[in-house]
Amino acid sequence: MRRATTLLSTLLVAVTLGVAAPAFAQNPIQADGVNPMGARPTADSVNEEFLFKQDSKIPGRISIPDQKAAILIQPQGREYQAFREGWLPWIGALVILGMIAALGAFFLFRGRIMMEHSQESGKKILRFNAFERFTHWMTASCFIILSLSGLNYIFGKRLLMPLIGPDAFGALAQWAKYSHVYLAWPFMLGVAFMFVLWIKDNIPNKIDWAWIKAGGGFIGKGHPHAARFNAGQKGVFWMVAGFGAAMSVTGLMMIFPFALTDINGMQVMQVVHSVIGIVFIAGILAHIYIGSLGMEGAYDAMGSGKVDLAWARAHHDLWVEQEQARTASGPQLKGHPAPAE
Amino acid sequence: MARMKFLCDADRCIECNACVTACKNEHEVPWGINRRRVVTLNDGKPGERSVSMACMHCTDAPCAAVCPVNCFYTTADAVVLHSKDICIGCGYCFYACPFGAPQYPRVGNFGSRGKMDKCTYCSGGPEPDFSTAEYEKYGSNRLAEGKLPLCAEMCSTKALLAGDGEMIAEIYKQRVIKRGYGSGAWGWKTAYRETVAI
Amino acid sequence: MKAFAAAVIAAITLGVLAMFALTSSQRFAYQAFATSGARVSEPGTNLVGPRWNGAPRPDEFESEPHGKAEGEGSHPKRS
Repeated sequence: MRRATTLLSTLLVAVTLGVAAPAFAQNPIQADGVNPMGARPTADSVNEEFLFKQDSKIPGRISIPDQKAAILIQPQGREYQAFREGWLPWIGALVILGMIAALGAFFLFRGRIMMEHSQESGKKILRFNAFERFTHWMTASCFIILSLSGLNYIFGKRLLMPLIGPDAFGALAQWAKYSHVYLAWPFMLGVAFMFVLWIKDNIPNKIDWAWIKAGGGFIGKGHPHAARFNAGQKGVFWMVAGFGAAMSVTGLMMIFPFALTDINGMQVMQVVHSVIGIVFIAGILAHIYIGSLGMEGAYDAMGSGKVDLAWARAHHDLWVEQEQARTASGPQLKGHPAPAE
Repeated sequence: MARMKFLCDADRCIECNACVTACKNEHEVPWGINRRRVVTLNDGKPGERSVSMACMHCTDAPCAAVCPVNCFYTTADAVVLHSKDICIGCGYCFYACPFGAPQYPRVGNFGSRGKMDKCTYCSGGPEPDFSTAEYEKYGSNRLAEGKLPLCAEMCSTKALLAGDGEMIAEIYKQRVIKRGYGSGAWGWKTAYRETVAI
Repeated sequence: MKAFAAAVIAAITLGVLAMFALTSSQRFAYQAFATSGARVSEPGTNLVGPRWNGAPRPDEFESEPHGKAEGEGSHPKRS
């Protein structure tokens, strides 16, 4: 009896299916691999051309924990390459050699800006205290190493590698890279210190405008009024602060790769870092020139910290008055020349 | 000499990752370094395809161009190799590479990430063929033995093709004609500035 | 001059400190890109490493292999 019931129900199901079958037949299922939506999943597939129309790169899914690897193709690397190999060496060479040529031309045209002697010559006034000089030189020494090792990334293989051979250059470049990454930290600290130390004397004001209009003492005779820092020095300060911050941010992004950005971000960071770096180097070359060869008496400010009172009176008259008013008997003012350190 | 290329027939790739495993085993590649990987596109959607990707050994390789120490060189077989003795691990090649091929043993920061490692097309490095130094740094050198890269040689569906560019393009072309469809030679336009014309 | 010498010394000191800090915070690719379940030991960083000589390591077969199941194997279930 049970068997008969089973047989009957099986038959019933079969009949039901048989009746239902024509209804299914109206659906477009005709052969294997053809689905009701009319798509052909075997033959119709994603292709490169289609995906590149949607996005500039082809992202996918990957089973390894390195999510960077999930991007199959990203041709933007070609643009990065075009910049780094096509534009960057030319930008670097033109800006830096251009600055050197401009400074050379200025030296030939204007010559060394000599000290104007007065009855105050020989007296010394403290311009930068020990900590200010320490901060300046820490930043400066790091900057020189950073700029040389940074330029090595661009010009090393073009200029140095043919001279010393690939193995020696590889070792040198490795050390240059280490110094670039590790000396970046005292440099960043130095920029931060300098910013805090000198910000109060570097707020632009009306005197700066007058200084610029008067040509800053570079052109023509005489020196316009200036407080502790003239407009040119303020320019250097704000350049160091601004470029230093930009270099720090982009540099930190590159020290910790992919921490905050994806690969396109890293490419942009590299481009920004290199371009600003080159302009920064050119700017600092001008700063080095005017602080040493370009102007007599200027180097003492950072060398010994004490400058000639006549020089200070000529270049920073308002500052000298302020200092003398502050300390009438003046521990800073000495009647005899300070021994050279 | 042949112009060696890779071609992944995505219509055949079943994402078994055997090419990845073969590569790791053949060259004793440590964990975390993936010279070859399989990326799935349109995952879970109609038209899903998987593509096995490694260094494509590009024509005018961008990695070689941007390298600040010129550690890359191209062999007579047009395989792009590099010298780990000269590499400084700066990572610029990874920024330039369209295929994400360069790998580094350490990833935390730029300073000491170690020497770059990438697919060598199973052909070692600048050291003498079959030398211990070559195996230590780059893995085995199958090409010098007259064998093609292991990933392609053992591909179970023969999706991954390696060999002379013209030859593998011809094989792929025949397949496409026979079966009537093909999703194209992935990465060829980017790597070789040409594609397989069907 | 004293300030300059102090500055150079400070820069080098800070650079060395940064080196130690950065090196100690370094992550290996096998830590970053492989799950811990997949690793049985520290794999090193550069392929087989400098001590490789082509021969299997002496301890590879002498010592007990890692993670080998001990005891009698369980009988497969029969349905």
